[in-house]
Amino acid sequence: MDRSKTSSSLSQTSSSTKRRYLSRRDFWMNAGMGIGGLGLIDLLNRDKLLGAELGQACTASADLNSPYAPKPPHFKPRAKAMISLFMCGGMSHIDTFQYKPALEKYNRMPMEGHGDIVVRQGNPGPLMKTPFSFKQYGQSGAWVSEIFPHISTIVDDLAFIHSAHGTSNDHTLSHLEWNTGNILVGYPSVGSWVTYGLGTVNQNLPAYVVLFDQRGGPYGGPQNWGSGYLPAAYQGTVFRSQGDPVLDLSPSSEYTNLDRERSRLDQLAKLNQEHAERYPGSSELSARIASYELAYRMQGCAPEAVDISSESDETKQLYGLNDPVTEPFGKQCLLARRLVERGVRFVQLISGAYVNTNVTAWDAHDSVDSNHRQHGKEVDKPITGLITDMKRRGLLDETVVMLHSEFGRMPISQRGIGRDHNPGAMTVFLCGAGIQGGQAIGTTDDVGLNAEEQPTSNHDIHASILYLMGIDHKKLTYYFNGRNMRLTDVAGELVPQITGTPKKA
Amino acid sequence: MIGFRPLGDEMGHLPEGNLVARWLLVSVMALGSGSGTHLLAQTLRVTDKDILPIVQRCTQCHGGDVQMGNLDLRTRASILQGGNSGAAVNPGHAEDSLLIKRVTGIVKPQMPMSPVPLLRPEEIAILKNWIDQGAPGTSEMGVVTSAAPAKPGIPADLAYPPANFPGYKERVIQDRDREWWAFKKPVRYATPAVSDARWAKNPIDAFIKKELDSKGLEPAPEADKRTLIRRVYLDLIGLLPPTQVVEAFVRDDAPDAYSKLVDKLLASPNYGERWGRFWLDVVRYADSSGFEYDRDIPNAWRYRDYVIKAFNEDKPFNQFIVEQIAGDELDNPTPDSLTATTFYRIGPRVRFREKQNPSNRYDYLDDMIRTTFQGFMGLSVNCARCHDHKFDPITRMDYYRSMAMMWGYVDYDQPLAPKAQVEEYEKVKSEVAQQTAPLRAEIARIEKPYREADLKRRQEEALRKYPEDIRIAVQTPPDKRTPGQKLLVTQLPLNFDDPDAADVVPVQVADNPNGYRQRTVKVSDADDVKRKDLQAKIKEIEKRMPPPLPMANGVRDGDYWLAPDDLGDNNLANNGRFSYDKKCCFVPALGSKYEVPELHFAANGADFEADKKTPEVQPGFLTVLVKGTPPPTSDMPSRPGYPTSGRRRALGEWIASADNPLTSRVIVNRIWGWHFGTAIVPTPGNFGKMGLPPSNPELLDWLSTEFVRQGWSVKKMQRLIMNSETYRMASSFYRADDVKKDPTNVYLWKFPLHRVEGEIVHDIMLYASGQLNTQFGGKPFFPSVPASVRLAQPRGIWQLTKEGPDTWRRGVYAYVQRGLRYPMFEVFDEPDLNITCERRDVSTVPTQALTLLNNDFMLIQSKFLAQRVLKEAGDDPAERIKQMYRITLSREPTRVELNLNLAFLQKQRAYALAHGSASGDAADLAAMTDFAQVILDSDEFIYIG
Repeated sequence: MDRSKTSSSLSQTSSSTKRRYLSRRDFWMNAGMGIGGLGLIDLLNRDKLLGAELGQACTASADLNSPYAPKPPHFKPRAKAMISLFMCGGMSHIDTFQYKPALEKYNRMPMEGHGDIVVRQGNPGPLMKTPFSFKQYGQSGAWVSEIFPHISTIVDDLAFIHSAHGTSNDHTLSHLEWNTGNILVGYPSVGSWVTYGLGTVNQNLPAYVVLFDQRGGPYGGPQNWGSGYLPAAYQGTVFRSQGDPVLDLSPSSEYTNLDRERSRLDQLAKLNQEHAERYPGSSELSARIASYELAYRMQGCAPEAVDISSESDETKQLYGLNDPVTEPFGKQCLLARRLVERGVRFVQLISGAYVNTNVTAWDAHDSVDSNHRQHGKEVDKPITGLITDMKRRGLLDETVVMLHSEFGRMPISQRGIGRDHNPGAMTVFLCGAGIQGGQAIGTTDDVGLNAEEQPTSNHDIHASILYLMGIDHKKLTYYFNGRNMRLTDVAGELVPQITGTPKKA
Repeated sequence: MIGFRPLGDEMGHLPEGNLVARWLLVSVMALGSGSGTHLLAQTLRVTDKDILPIVQRCTQCHGGDVQMGNLDLRTRASILQGGNSGAAVNPGHAEDSLLIKRVTGIVKPQMPMSPVPLLRPEEIAILKNWIDQGAPGTSEMGVVTSAAPAKPGIPADLAYPPANFPGYKERVIQDRDREWWAFKKPVRYATPAVSDARWAKNPIDAFIKKELDSKGLEPAPEADKRTLIRRVYLDLIGLLPPTQVVEAFVRDDAPDAYSKLVDKLLASPNYGERWGRFWLDVVRYADSSGFEYDRDIPNAWRYRDYVIKAFNEDKPFNQFIVEQIAGDELDNPTPDSLTATTFYRIGPRVRFREKQNPSNRYDYLDDMIRTTFQGFMGLSVNCARCHDHKFDPITRMDYYRSMAMMWGYVDYDQPLAPKAQVEEYEKVKSEVAQQTAPLRAEIARIEKPYREADLKRRQEEALRKYPEDIRIAVQTPPDKRTPGQKLLVTQLPLNFDDPDAADVVPVQVADNPNGYRQRTVKVSDADDVKRKDLQAKIKEIEKRMPPPLPMANGVRDGDYWLAPDDLGDNNLANNGRFSYDKKCCFVPALGSKYEVPELHFAANGADFEADKKTPEVQPGFLTVLVKGTPPPTSDMPSRPGYPTSGRRRALGEWIASADNPLTSRVIVNRIWGWHFGTAIVPTPGNFGKMGLPPSNPELLDWLSTEFVRQGWSVKKMQRLIMNSETYRMASSFYRADDVKKDPTNVYLWKFPLHRVEGEIVHDIMLYASGQLNTQFGGKPFFPSVPASVRLAQPRGIWQLTKEGPDTWRRGVYAYVQRGLRYPMFEVFDEPDLNITCERRDVSTVPTQALTLLNNDFMLIQSKFLAQRVLKEAGDDPAERIKQMYRITLSREPTRVELNLNLAFLQKQRAYALAHGSASGDAADLAAMTDFAQVILDSDEFIYIG
């Protein structure tokens, strides 16, 4: 049974989702449970839902005794939600957003004057110029290489941090460094911290959604969206590219169907209620009863959130859904917008999969030209579409969008035409949430080996993101292992150009 | 007897010597100043001879137990630091030193005070000379000075001299630091007198009731028998009580019926399957190593089985500790004790390019320090990695001392077979290798021209694809190339300058992404016949090989930096690999003398050379705990032929000592928490200042002393707990006044209702459905997950399986892959697999509900359960419902429940008939399946009431 298409005589319009909720209410009422039987479920909210429009029905909040209940920020936030665009494999900063004439000048000459060269694989080669042409764009004059013809049109909306740097040249460790704050395993991801800190305004959908590349997961797999030492409830929920978006969202038809399930839920609520009456005041049992109600809503709302059939052709084209190369990431970007629209707090999209790393991820050991041209094309239009669409819908003002990777790449060649990992420098860009566009923050040295002006660490960027979301990174703590842990550990300085806070003396 | 093995020959001059004291001396020499050890060694002799007898008279009041005027004269640093009146000594200026002014009486009161006799003039002269020389090298004074008469070789005061060198001044651990409750030995408090006879039978009850009385709380009555038997079964073996056992128990009026039930379940092999799993949480058990490659740890499961077996056999917990930390260093290691050291191997490990990333080693040690100290002792020693602990009296030097205790260990696979069998195996293996070598060489000879041709072809192909500048560089004769061209050519993957080398260059291939092997090469048909013939011959010879020996993925002492190259390690120039000039070997040869490689303070592997610049660290225990703890003595004979340092054994025995104030408390607290859902100290991994205080400190101490008294028997402790009234209270008790006074039931006025863990949810569903595969132990199984879940983690050996008896084993036997967790366990709060688990969270989220509603496993087991009920209960719908309740909930349904479920069955049956059920039987099954699922989803089913 398609839950969003249940019909009900009580429905006053033909809106499918409305009918679903009416029938749901009907079933609760027919079950003779009354208000008492509903436990913590908010009847008022339910009634609001009755008259709500389709989108709103799944956006509505239900303040429950749940780990995701909305929590007040430390101060007025500039962003309600965040979208992280993670380029898995190591996007080269010097072949995308940092133009280095020195590399042309010294092409194929040994790199000197930069100390010991540590590479990940093989022998260090000579300096190598970018295979791509660079031009300046927009009023800000930002440099963008030819692989991003679309992103180059919106550079005045983007704030580039060219001096981002990390500590490890290992993919997985660096993935963890940027996604969890720590190069070791076992630490909560940024999205987990954000949902732990703020909860979510929409209990009908997961608070923290991850859409990884349809070719496969990133280096380190689910550890990138794990909740580490935070309660498991705060881990990211994977939305799958095929079938039900959420694992176990509906039963496989081989065994049962949703009609029977609805009836089972009804019966379950009654038996659980009988049980809970033996334990008066148990908030845990009340929460369990409510969690089934939420699960039921999610069964309707998650498919609704990923159903893009209502989007206009113009919108779909904006995201590149009409081209098989851009369609997969384009769809992820469109879903990100739809999820944020529906109150999802944190969305991470991952471009690149750890399957055949030189091909399926941004891991251009073999050839920068073919690798980055391919991956550039896959994301260029979708990302531009996302930012453009968010902007025109007014969503960008209250959402922070960040593009990043686990590290940049080396100015010297590998295997002649590729580049090795370089944690010394990478480019990150942020936009939305009132961030001043067109900024170029920080620099690297003449060849792009290391951050030079205003070196910016993962902690600095994480602190800044939390700030935009109304959280003081020093105050968002969780007691574990004998101390109050933080996303930013004992570090993290706000990036003043991003947060608009005064520069540190 | 707890003891140390002597370090070896170099200990000869300290026949009665104590290892700790020896370490201290060495450590002092190394740490006294940053200026090298030889000088200090000289000044140490001077100090010993001349200064110490004098200063010893002062330290009776200024050092050790008493530090009057806040003055500690035991170390150079503390002398310079001085007390309330300022520095005691001004080096180089005796006349200007307060110490001299005091002992001469220039400043009153003159020292030493009565009854200690005043210093004689010649003694004062020695002191003056010493100060005028700059008061050299006396940071070791505390080692041998003491107010208390010292036993030979065993200093009574083991406070380490605080380290003090450029860049680090160790926090001085004071006596007041030792006043923290958890650092004082547990006291066996007298059992409180309780007037209520019900609460006077078991000491636990007396302690609990005293607390309840003082808080004005009224305890719950005893739970009914059905609740009790279900509780005891779920708690002890994690399975449901069989229906007939429930009925027999309910009918059994014998006064010892309950305690016999507890005994029976403690003796069940299923007991270890549940209680061993709790321990696996503590040791952050997994079958894979995590990180990028998430590699399999092939024999991790043997450790899992060892743990289950240890619980089943009620292995004394102190022995259990020592085996895990030093099972290989015991006098008589057993297969079990060797397997126990897999403890070191199951943590998160990169296992790729370890040689290029020396910092990994320090991270692994950090993992071990964290797991060991939090797991066994409830102390976050790992917080002192970068600085002295911010809250607890644990210094950064303590951290490195602890690291030095383990520093020698290397990953080492130990064969689990008798010596003769191992030798025979090695003999056959080398014979087979010898016999097949010429055949392999012949294959290589046949393949050689093809390999060369193949390489040439690939090179030409590659060259065509390369840009022109690379082609030019390759074609330029080596001596004519520019420096840039040289770099360019050497980094090309196909080795253009040396075709021969390419024949031995292993390649990474798609079907073996985690490894390297030689590329297979096509040869002519005629040559292929020859090659196949040779391969067949090799195969024939290899048939002689006995089956592989069972191995433990254990450890022994060795030199980590000399470990054989492993995946990704290579020796190419300029690849970031550090050089290590140490001579000897990965593991010491039989009969040789073993020396632990040096470990430097604050070393972290980020810069191998910089690491060497700090002083070398000597092993030791936590400063705050050694004071007043008699150190282990060294009567342990060295096991012949197994050179090892004994450090890990010393650590294990120190942790497992009855004198360790933490260990017994920590484990009884955990046991309590595993029974009740909440422990007496609600932070079982942290007994320090940042942990929570015990809700009933007297009970905790009593339990801890009782545990030791009972020979560290976990089962005896559990028997005691489970036979208490406290444990047998009802959980459904409600009294408004109690709720008001103690809303979260901290003081246990009722039994805490608590959910079982994901593994047990899984197990009891299988048990109810009758489909549990009871295979005990052995290799793990792969639970069935959708391909989309596997897609998220392309690495590791996780296999996609179908639901079936192979996957219907107990959850504890499921393969635990760090990078890919079984969703059903994960959603029910499986703890993070990388860090020792203090306690499992219990969260309630919609995804749990989705799992219970829609997971295939659930739906399949529901049907089996339905079939079982239909088979066992006959045709009467009411009887069917009753049987369902008996199987799953160990009770009869209430009248309300009966009616609710009758109506439900009717409704579902009607639906089934209207939607394609061919027969009444099919409709019955469909309806019963729906009912079964409702029951399996219900709260009561997955809660211990």
